[in-house]
Amino acid sequence: MKKSLCVIFSGFLLASCGSSEEIKYEQYLVNGEQHYLKHCSNCHQADGSGLKDLYPPLAGSDFLNNKELVICLIRNGMSGEIKVNGKVYNQPMPGNKQLYELDIAELTTYIYTKWGNSKEITEVSSVKKTLGECKTKE
Amino acid sequence: MIKNIQVIFVFLTALAAFSCSDSQRKLPYLGNKQVGENGDTVFHTIRDFKFVNQDNDTITNEAYKDKIYISDFFFTSCPTICPVMKTQMLRVYEKFKDNPQVGILSHTIDPRHDSVQVLKAYRDRLGIKGNMWQFVTGEQDDIYEIAQKFYMVSAMEDSAAKEEGGFVHSGAFILTDKQRHVRGMYDGTKEEEVTKLIKDIQLLLSEQP
Repeated sequence: MKKSLCVIFSGFLLASCGSSEEIKYEQYLVNGEQHYLKHCSNCHQADGSGLKDLYPPLAGSDFLNNKELVICLIRNGMSGEIKVNGKVYNQPMPGNKQLYELDIAELTTYIYTKWGNSKEITEVSSVKKTLGECKTKE
Repeated sequence: MIKNIQVIFVFLTALAAFSCSDSQRKLPYLGNKQVGENGDTVFHTIRDFKFVNQDNDTITNEAYKDKIYISDFFFTSCPTICPVMKTQMLRVYEKFKDNPQVGILSHTIDPRHDSVQVLKAYRDRLGIKGNMWQFVTGEQDDIYEIAQKFYMVSAMEDSAAKEEGGFVHSGAFILTDKQRHVRGMYDGTKEEEVTKLIKDIQLLLSEQP
C-alpha cells in the first residue's frame, strides 16, 4: 500500500515538472524580462506602452509583424523616422552590440510572448541567421 | 469627574498626535548657509540665469519669480536615464500644470545637438503645452556651471561614457522655492521619490502661499 502511494506520488511530481522544452521556454521568459527591463523599458516602458509621441509602443504594435526587422533593430539600433500603427516617430534607438545571440533570443521570446501573441521560443539559431542577413549594420 | 478629565486628556493627546502629521513637516534648506551682515542666516540661492527656450524666447529667473520650480538636466538623445526622468516629470507636470505658482525647468546638457528646434520637437512629442514646463539651452559652460555650483548636481561631457550617450549627469530633480532656495533633491528615475517630490511641492505651496 505504502509503495503504491509512493509510486503515484512520484508520478505526480514528474508530471508537474513539465517537459524540458517548457522549462526552457519559462527560462527564456524570465531572462528575457531581465534584458527587457535593463535595455528597453527606459524608453518603451515596462508595460510596452511607449512614451507619448517620443517612443513607440511595443504593446499592440504593428511593427512586431516583422520579427526579422525587430531582431536587427535590437542589435543595430536605428535613427530617422519610423512608422508604428500609422504614427511617425523620430527618436534614435541605440543598438545593443553587447548582447549575445542568446540574450537577443530570450529578449525576442519575451517581447513576442508578451505583445506578439506568441507562445513559442525564438531560437538562437534563427536569431543568428537573421542577424547575418540584417540590411543596415551601423 | 476624574474620569472625565482622563477622557479629555486622551482626547487632547490624540489631537496633538494628529497635528504633528505631514502638514507640520517643514522642508530643509539645502546647500551652504552663511551669516549675513545683520546676523541673519543667508541660505544657498540659485544665481540669476538667462537661457533660450524651445520657442527661441529668452528665459531668465524673472520667469520663475513667485514660483516654486523643479529643475533637471538631460539631453534629448540620451538612451539611459532621461526617458525615465521624463516619464516621472510628466507626473509632476500633469499634477501641477494648471497651477501658476509651479514651474518646471529642463536644461539640456548637450546644446550642440539640442538646438531650439530639437527641443521644440521633443517637447511637442511629449505633449507639453503652455508655459509651465520650459526646455532651455544656452552656453554649455554656463549650463554646467549652474548645474554643479547652484543646483548641486553633476553634469559634464565625457566621451568615455559611450553607453550613456557621451555625457555624465545626475538624474536629480531639484525643488526650489519662491526665493530660489533649494528645498529638496529627488532621484528622478525612481517613482517613489517623485511621489515624495509631489507631496513636498504641496507642502511648499502651503508654506509659501
